[in-house]
Amino acid sequence: MNFDKLFELAKSKGIEDIQVYFSDNSEFDITIFKGELDKYTIASTQKLSVKGIYKGKMGTVTTEVLTDEIIEFVVDSIIASAKTIDSEDEVFIYEGDKEYKKVEGLFNASIYDVPAKDKIADVTELEKKIMAKDKRIIMVQAFYGDGSNNVTIRNSKGLKLQKKVNDAMLGAQVIANDGEDQRSAFEYIRSNDYKDFDLDSLADIAAKKAVALLGAKPCESGEYEILLTKEASASLLTPHISMFSAESVQKGISLLKGKVGEAIGSKNITIVDDPFMLKSAKSGAFDDEGVATSYKELVKEGLLTGYLHNLKTAKKDNIKSTGNGFMGRGIAPTNFYIKPGELKYDDAVKSLKKGIIITDLAGTHSGADPISGNFSLQASGFLVENGEIVRPVALITVAGNYLDLLKDVTNVCDDLKFNFGYIGSPSLLVKSLMVSGL
Amino acid sequence: MLEKSIIKNVLKEALTTNADFAEVFIEDKFQTDASLLSSKIQGVNNSKEFGIGVRVAKGYNSVYGYTNSPKEEDLLKLANDLAQSFPGEPVGIEFSLEEMKVGDLHKVKILPSEVSLDEKVELLRRADKAARAYSDEITQVSTRYQDYVQKVWIANSEGTYVHDTRVRTRLAIAAIASDAETKQTGFYGPGGHYGFEFYSENLNIEEAAAESARIAVEMLHADECPSGKMPVVIDNEFGGVIFHEACGHSLEATSVAKGASVFSGKKGELIANPLVTAIDDGTIPNAWGSATYDDEGNLQKRRVLIKDGILTSYMIDKLNAIRMDDEPTHSGRRESYRYAPTSRMTNTYIDNGESTFEEIIAATKFGLYAKKMGGGSVNPVTGDFNFAVAEGYIIRDGKIAEAVKGATLVGTGSETLLKVDMVGNNLATAQGMCGSLSGSIPTDVGQPTIRVSEITVGGRGGAI
Repeated sequence: MNFDKLFELAKSKGIEDIQVYFSDNSEFDITIFKGELDKYTIASTQKLSVKGIYKGKMGTVTTEVLTDEIIEFVVDSIIASAKTIDSEDEVFIYEGDKEYKKVEGLFNASIYDVPAKDKIADVTELEKKIMAKDKRIIMVQAFYGDGSNNVTIRNSKGLKLQKKVNDAMLGAQVIANDGEDQRSAFEYIRSNDYKDFDLDSLADIAAKKAVALLGAKPCESGEYEILLTKEASASLLTPHISMFSAESVQKGISLLKGKVGEAIGSKNITIVDDPFMLKSAKSGAFDDEGVATSYKELVKEGLLTGYLHNLKTAKKDNIKSTGNGFMGRGIAPTNFYIKPGELKYDDAVKSLKKGIIITDLAGTHSGADPISGNFSLQASGFLVENGEIVRPVALITVAGNYLDLLKDVTNVCDDLKFNFGYIGSPSLLVKSLMVSGL
Repeated sequence: MLEKSIIKNVLKEALTTNADFAEVFIEDKFQTDASLLSSKIQGVNNSKEFGIGVRVAKGYNSVYGYTNSPKEEDLLKLANDLAQSFPGEPVGIEFSLEEMKVGDLHKVKILPSEVSLDEKVELLRRADKAARAYSDEITQVSTRYQDYVQKVWIANSEGTYVHDTRVRTRLAIAAIASDAETKQTGFYGPGGHYGFEFYSENLNIEEAAAESARIAVEMLHADECPSGKMPVVIDNEFGGVIFHEACGHSLEATSVAKGASVFSGKKGELIANPLVTAIDDGTIPNAWGSATYDDEGNLQKRRVLIKDGILTSYMIDKLNAIRMDDEPTHSGRRESYRYAPTSRMTNTYIDNGESTFEEIIAATKFGLYAKKMGGGSVNPVTGDFNFAVAEGYIIRDGKIAEAVKGATLVGTGSETLLKVDMVGNNLATAQGMCGSLSGSIPTDVGQPTIRVSEITVGGRGGAI
């Protein structure tokens, strides 16, 4: 589509300012099952999101049809959309920042030098290696995927930004069965550098995880010390991110409202939003509004320092946008994580007198309510007595409040890991949680 | 949308190596979304989606590719790239695409394009007003409107050539009640395969909004739910999410075919209490999960999954049927052209039994009455499921007593199904979005009020 034509037509119809966000994506995914190629997907797609200010309101439209013929529809949609809005929030189309940080490592072309044939061979090898680790492993689904995203932002104020990122993932779902019980585990490595895909170590971890849970049964109900593993902690942090959004705060649906400067977690808790992390598809020098991003510690040693902002919320609070204006939710973090500490995981386990290692929390999309902070979730993991793992546990529920949990974190391990959405956490020692089992 | 001759050329190109099946899925979708918060319309977005997915298979192995380009040369190249996964000589498949069949079983009266944006957002204003009017304790209302017209064309090398249009709409209302200590949310999100007539003929917006407010206020004053194992009475409508998670996903060939479901290889066996009969029906007129055709181009069907406790049918898509050496059940669904189809639920429910709601409560000495369910998830490998209770009450001596919040039910699908010991006669359904391998799709869940003799309940209110 000819964006200059779009901008001209928009202006002529009374749109004060207009911005396009154009994204060009490619994707390659494979799955191996029983030595055969079970899934193979290739794709190349494009999407255009347009926003425009008409009589002080922001109209939006998205389209996957990108011919010049569609330009009139785009402009008319923006006007119709803007006319319907009655929010009095001030809206912005940004002229740009003077400087944008040069962020390295967002796009690694070398991943395309590895032919598809070799990727298939490696995934097949991964499946074989995992199956060979333990005869109780009955099924493995190994997968690999890579994708690239080329983003262009342009607007009628002269802003012109471009960003190219790519990302890849290698992993497996593993099922173990000992004749009486069946358990599954899911493990992966994420990077845009193919050299990081260590098949042996991945196979080892995945296999161990799957068999470790065999025979898991509920434990007795009660209060337990908790070691929340890095994966479980990241999955619990994820639904609570909206608490940190200035939009939620300003609309009265965040418990963090009015708490800047207060302790919302223990001194061990520092929470970071880092847009410059290497090898991450979420990293970048600018957000979707074209505002320069910034590294920030939203929680510093337990104290809340601020919120994630976009142009609209920042203006309301009379500050600069933090560069967290992203489409979808309106505000989102980039790479968001709890900073690792120094405690070794094995030492954390040894410190539990009567505790539970929670390795997995299920139902976080429904059992965790960021508005109240209360959660009640299905969990699995291991029962620990006097520093030793006694047996695996499953079908228990843990309940609590997320802000209370952050305040009850007694120590933080050094094993930071990120999930699919680039939300990360190290393993956390928590004073106690209410567990329901037998 | 694409000329028949182009579609045929793409299918033929896909079969120039050793593949034995090829399929083209074309999608043209126009969607409108509007949101309201703090009593103001915050955003209105129109979106136009267009894409083509090509699937090439040999036996049950398949490859998939998709693109936004309708140009013949791009599609031929895509088909050719995919065909390279099955090296060898052409199998020699002959086919012809005859007259295109057009799906028309789920009629709508008022197309979204015939309605102005102002009329659509007016629904949001009405919902907001009614929710706030319910109680002073309602401090915030978030409501969203969605409608779309999804046009699909599906053609394959077996001669299937169909066109189906799905018109759906939904209004989601979340009311938030607050006091000095906490906030609670009440949610209600009705929708269906309807046009705009849904909002004058099938839904009373003011009642729907008041319902979401009622739940929020009730939970604001609720005690924390105690934890432990106890009988649970699960109400109708969205209570059906228990069957959807506890059992439904484990009956989809997506996991059954690979031996990765607890119900793999159990046809003919007793997998639920004999009081339970469960159905997946993609033909229910204008239901949220219905369509004339599935996303592989076959007429949707009604499938009896469980009859009097016995497993009688899985949900099986075309390729998994080959893997399982079983008949396909026309259960192939996908979120969009970006996904290859796989077997998915449509409108899934436990059928009516004999008991009344009053009888079920009166028969329970102590337990939890889960009046409204939130969402949940399942691990089909183990059958372990979980779901949140959005509105709950303690049952004491056969009577509904105090309200409780924050409860989670966990269990294993196979065990829970066997423990259903009372089934009501008040079947009702509710709408949800179901996520799995082939993306997020609309599904109905449903059941009458049922009682499960024992489920593990998690809560912060201390052990019972």
